[in-house]
Amino acid sequence: MQPGAAAMTCRRLAVAAMLALVAPALAQDALPLPPRVLMGPRQPPAGPAGPRKDAVERVEADVSTRSVEVTTGFTGHEILVFGAIDNSQQPEDTAGNYYYDVVVVVEGTPYAVVVRRKSDIAGVWINTSSVLFASVPSYYAIASTRSLDQIAGPAVLERNSIGFAHIQMTPAVGVKWNLSDYELAGFRAAVIRLKQKEHLYVVEAKEGVTFTGRSLFRSTIALPGNVPVGPLVARTYLFRDGEVLSAHIARVTLERKGIERVLHDFAFRYPFTYGIIAVMLAVLAGLSGSMFFRRETA
Amino acid sequence: MNIYLPIAEMSVNVAVFLSMGCAVGFLSGMFGVGGGFLLTPLLIFMGIPSAVAVGTGSMQIMASSVAGAIAQYRRRNVDIKMGLVLVAGGVVGAIVGVGLVRILRQIGQFDLFVSLSYVLFLGAVGGLMLIESVGTIRRARSGQPVSARKTGQHSWVHGLPFKMRFNRSKLYISVVPPAAIGAFVGFMAAIMGVGGGFVMVPAMIYLLRVPTSVVIGTSLFQIVFVMAVTTLLQAVQNKTVDVVLAMLLIVGGVVGAQFGVIAGGRLKGEQLRFLLAALVLLVCLRIGWELVARPGELYSIGPLLGRP
Repeated sequence: MQPGAAAMTCRRLAVAAMLALVAPALAQDALPLPPRVLMGPRQPPAGPAGPRKDAVERVEADVSTRSVEVTTGFTGHEILVFGAIDNSQQPEDTAGNYYYDVVVVVEGTPYAVVVRRKSDIAGVWINTSSVLFASVPSYYAIASTRSLDQIAGPAVLERNSIGFAHIQMTPAVGVKWNLSDYELAGFRAAVIRLKQKEHLYVVEAKEGVTFTGRSLFRSTIALPGNVPVGPLVARTYLFRDGEVLSAHIARVTLERKGIERVLHDFAFRYPFTYGIIAVMLAVLAGLSGSMFFRRETA
Repeated sequence: MNIYLPIAEMSVNVAVFLSMGCAVGFLSGMFGVGGGFLLTPLLIFMGIPSAVAVGTGSMQIMASSVAGAIAQYRRRNVDIKMGLVLVAGGVVGAIVGVGLVRILRQIGQFDLFVSLSYVLFLGAVGGLMLIESVGTIRRARSGQPVSARKTGQHSWVHGLPFKMRFNRSKLYISVVPPAAIGAFVGFMAAIMGVGGGFVMVPAMIYLLRVPTSVVIGTSLFQIVFVMAVTTLLQAVQNKTVDVVLAMLLIVGGVVGAQFGVIAGGRLKGEQLRFLLAALVLLVCLRIGWELVARPGELYSIGPLLGRP
């Protein structure tokens, strides 16, 4: 391990101890690095720990629930994204000014989406054009200390895909050939609008992220009942004067559990057996229903 | 109480869907129809994806027809030979239909096709029934005798080859028309999530001249087997059969049908047909309106189907 990395591990440990919230095993990666789950073996402190004046700020964060189970009665789940700023230079009393800004983005697994548009053909509304986006996040929730346009400029937000306008949505190859940029923008906007209508693209209310003291922050993200299953990624960004100082990734798994997981998996893995069972169930239900009522009325 | 539907992938209220099954069961018991033409549009209206509504509908129809088919069989009202010809045609129609569902879903025209089919069939059947029942009611009021159509006359149907003797129906006709009727009904079943009794029964009476006593039993026989095949095909090819949803509808439907039969017994045949025609036309108009009214949202999104 490089000496710089060892010092970093040190600081991470110090913060973890300070928080007493974060389990030591959660040390996670900063965004620009490829995501890894664990840092190397823990090493004893090699130098003076604690904040140094010349050090740069880093953000570390985690999610209250690592794994959410979607069961028969699932109606949604609230997750808490919390963290701390390492080497925080924030004054104790910000007096209403925003020294740092924190943005939390929770994103669902990207999937391919077909967007269709209807037109009036001889009085009947028919799907006439479509765009295939190869990769669209299934879920996208955003929480921030204040509104995004106050935090950073569009270029910075775009680079980090923060905000609905900057969600990464790649049209499949070949789409550009028959549609203008203007039309493509319409399809893009439709995805965001329809996802918002389904409560799958959400902006948490004002002050979605709140600070406690100089370095601790927290934000709650309410996963709706219809949140698509699959791993979620919680990205936390630390901003100062419109620039990203540091970023952090945490993961949440979202899995089907219980009877409908069994049924769903079964239907997709063994469709023939599932079909046979469906037919037999229908026969049984039909027969037992009529027998029950014949006895009642006889 | 909410329950999560594993195939439709949504959380629904149990009471709402139980009572929906009950209401459709009541109407189908009252009019002696399968009720698929009411249930499938209702499910789509409630937000169930149309392909899942159609696939699950076939399972529900099967459950609601199986008891009737067995009862008719015991009363020797099923022409097994005719039924098998209808089933053979129906299976071919269902295979074609289920395959077409897959293609239509991939190109994004399934909803349109379902709506157009509904408007066309419900409009035609409802309109004919309305005219017929109003005529009968008028004649009954004016004191003229209410008589059935004359039977026994030969038509073009009797000139076709591959003749076969159907003993119970007392017919010696070509197998082509019953097989074609069966195929057409099987195709409709796969596309529209209906049993198709409302097409098969009139077709058997007026085209094939099958005696009325065996028409209902034989058509139920066909529906049970074709629906079993359709359910299986939809589960395998399109993965659109939601067992949990189907069970909710079946349980509600069985209860509702019992009361429907009692209510239906208090009304005259032509009155029932008039009410049914009105209901069919209402459903037709409702679906037709959706097609021509300017939608509030022109765009729709869906997952990519077919290609991996």
